[in-house]
Amino acid sequence: MHFITKLLIMKHIFILAVLNSSFYLAHAQGSVNDTTKVKQLEEVVITATRTIRQLSSLPLPVQIISEQEIKNSNSLRLNDILSEQTGLISVPNFIGGEGVQLQGLSSQYTLILIDGLPLIGRSAGTLDLRRVAVGNIKQIEIVKGASSSLYGSEALGGIINIITDKPKNGFNGDINYRLGTFNTNDLSTSINYKKHKLGVHTFFNRYSSDGYDLTENDDLNTVESFSNYTLDTKVTYDFSEATNLFVLGKYFTQNQDYVASSALKGESDINEWNTHLKLNHKYSKKWGSYFEFYATRYKTKDYLNNENGSRYSSNHYNQLLIHPETQVTFNPNDKNSFIGGIGFNHETLDRTDFTTKPEFNSPFIYAQYDGNPTEKLNVILGARFDDNNKYKSQFSPKVALRYELNKKIAIKGSIGYGFKAPDFRQLYFDFTNATAGITVLGYNAVTDAIPQLQAQGEIASIIVPISEFEGSLNPENSVSINFGIDYKLSSNLKFSLNVFRNNINDLIDSRVIAYKTNGQKIFSYYNVNKVYTQGLEINASWKPINQLKFSGGYQLLIAKDKDVESAFKNGKMYARESPSSPSFQLKKDDYFGLYNRSRHMANLKLFYTISKWNLDTNIRGTYRSKYGLFDSNGNDTLDTHDIFVNGYAIFDLAVNKTVYKNYGLGFGIDNLFDFKDTQNISNITGQIIYGKLNIKF
Amino acid sequence: MKILTLGTLLICFMFTSCSDDDNTTPLLEVASKTVSNLNAPQVGGRGQAISGEFTKFNFATGQSTTSDTDWDIAFRGTSIIVNGGTSLGTTDEPVRTGIAAAYIESGTLASVTEVDLSLLTQDSANGYAINGWYSLDTTTYILSALAGKIIVVKTHDGNYAKLEILSYYKDLDTSKESRYYTFNYVYQPNEGVTTF
Repeated sequence: MHFITKLLIMKHIFILAVLNSSFYLAHAQGSVNDTTKVKQLEEVVITATRTIRQLSSLPLPVQIISEQEIKNSNSLRLNDILSEQTGLISVPNFIGGEGVQLQGLSSQYTLILIDGLPLIGRSAGTLDLRRVAVGNIKQIEIVKGASSSLYGSEALGGIINIITDKPKNGFNGDINYRLGTFNTNDLSTSINYKKHKLGVHTFFNRYSSDGYDLTENDDLNTVESFSNYTLDTKVTYDFSEATNLFVLGKYFTQNQDYVASSALKGESDINEWNTHLKLNHKYSKKWGSYFEFYATRYKTKDYLNNENGSRYSSNHYNQLLIHPETQVTFNPNDKNSFIGGIGFNHETLDRTDFTTKPEFNSPFIYAQYDGNPTEKLNVILGARFDDNNKYKSQFSPKVALRYELNKKIAIKGSIGYGFKAPDFRQLYFDFTNATAGITVLGYNAVTDAIPQLQAQGEIASIIVPISEFEGSLNPENSVSINFGIDYKLSSNLKFSLNVFRNNINDLIDSRVIAYKTNGQKIFSYYNVNKVYTQGLEINASWKPINQLKFSGGYQLLIAKDKDVESAFKNGKMYARESPSSPSFQLKKDDYFGLYNRSRHMANLKLFYTISKWNLDTNIRGTYRSKYGLFDSNGNDTLDTHDIFVNGYAIFDLAVNKTVYKNYGLGFGIDNLFDFKDTQNISNITGQIIYGKLNIKF
Repeated sequence: MKILTLGTLLICFMFTSCSDDDNTTPLLEVASKTVSNLNAPQVGGRGQAISGEFTKFNFATGQSTTSDTDWDIAFRGTSIIVNGGTSLGTTDEPVRTGIAAAYIESGTLASVTEVDLSLLTQDSANGYAINGWYSLDTTTYILSALAGKIIVVKTHDGNYAKLEILSYYKDLDTSKESRYYTFNYVYQPNEGVTTF
């Protein structure tokens, strides 16, 4: 719907308006028969400007992953396909979620959208990408660089927007089944119907696995066995050429074993639903608007029982987001377009270890101009204002320019502001660890909790006065700069280069604010660190013949904490050769940078089609250079004398064959050479062999 | 507890050995020594109230002591106190009888050559003078002494010493019992001399 309505609205992109639904169809189906048609058309994206735009003419660094690539790679979950893209990596966090690192920023700084609307439910900042099935994805759009000017909080490093299948003319469907190592079963089916005004699209997925264990000598598995279900239904109704309605309901549920030790066992559950209603109307050739209402709830529950069946612990987490928004589009002529929007975010959270049931209310307003003052110059100016009842209001501007030097070369640059609101945990946590005895208080919880503890005689000394907690915590914020060149040697050979720098301020960290009479510490959050990430990204694709495509990418990354960097420069950093040997002084160049960042990342992919056998085959390799996960020599920072995780490369192979037009058979080996680093990398399981069956009707 | 002499640092002050008509008494030798496996037990912790005797140490003798007055610094678990100032108020904390003070300076044991008197702090109700000498790995719960943290101490009777903590585990082995300190230190036995 997003797609169709935008197509209707954005008349000035003539190619799309003319092709309108036929393009949409070709693109959406993405089956073997359609690929040639699709290739002749320009690829389009919606995420970068919140309007339909040709990918090749954008002044921003944007990558897209096509449905075809997802299908040919036989991906199952979002993390599978994202980690094969240049500059992206799927990183496991300490509680098992897998988030994405983008331009060297960790996963809490990348906004994840489905059809333009945010997913919620992050644990310790990580939105677990394994929650998202890829079977109904039409296209994934990745916009790099701060984009809070359109999307507000969390769009600090960039945005990943998952565009899903929408109803299209006809009645058809498919069934897919994949069985692989670790008894991993994936069954999905989609049914599509559209005739005249009414369209319906339903997608169902069941995904289950026995899990796996990388460390044999304990009672736990690295990933315990689980099963989950996704059900997603969309209904569209076209009242007229100018007015249409879109309704979505989506539900996800997962049940997983939860094992803490041989004696403590239980289960954990996730339940998530999303609803989205969107009404589009086009008033004239120039004016259009939509109204949308989005609501989503993310709930988790877990428990552990003792051996005798009595309850040891239980936790719950229940987050709600309600988001109404209206947007107006104005296209005075072919060269200029304006959008303006206004909306409201209402967010609540009820969870274990919280002082209150906090509530965020955040109205916002944004506007954007996208125009071509001259034939060769494209300008985007945008800004957004987010007000909030719990933290400082944010104004997020952005400017982007693209200039076509000639038919082959274009240069582009953008600068934007991004922010991430303090999360509920950083504001309201009130948690005391039963075994270690450490207390962690959210910034806003301090002024109540400390006097209370004092009254109970539990405070020995206060290190940071309570008065420092009477203000408000600043959102983490950044200024990001991207500068790039697109070089199109021929229609078969393309290069792009992007140089980036993100300057991040007010990163939130925790510090000791008081000591308890039992000798333990009380922590709270504050704005402290300044970090930067910078580097360059190169992407190339080459199609020597129609059946063969090579693509490759490389990212160079330097990610450092500014204070630590100057401590190294000033000779203030020391290390130990072995854990208990005397200290020695480190040199300026010994600073490696932030944890879990690889200086080099690269990928190389080869897609080959053998038409006469109806065979699609590909081999995909990804590489990341060495990185450090923790300090090993006594200075709480990562220096060149620390222990590193060795660099590695992983190769995936997939073969898919179509038989009798409507049947597909697939086979593949992920991680062909069985790479594992059981000590350091919990999300690489070793070799995975699978088979796949696909039926269309 | 055993004491080793690692090596000696001879400080040759102006004229000490060269001048015949010098009446000042020759300065005492400043030596670098190691204390191994100084046990600093505590009761409680991990959420429970902490108590128990501190293990007191005297730099002049290079020995632990049970004296109520002749101690410079004392250890209990990860807490290190000095014999100067006032108590933080935890159970079993000894009364401060001396004029001891301390601060932490970045450096190696050899590179810290002079005491910065302006940095010296005593224990108080707001916290101990010696703080932030270790880091704790929150997954393994292994505690390690931060590199380059040299503790400069004014002793209970006004002399100076510097020390570097190397390990919190018995025999420097993190798989063995904790609360066993091993540290290198240098004591300046000459009264009022603020250099090492």
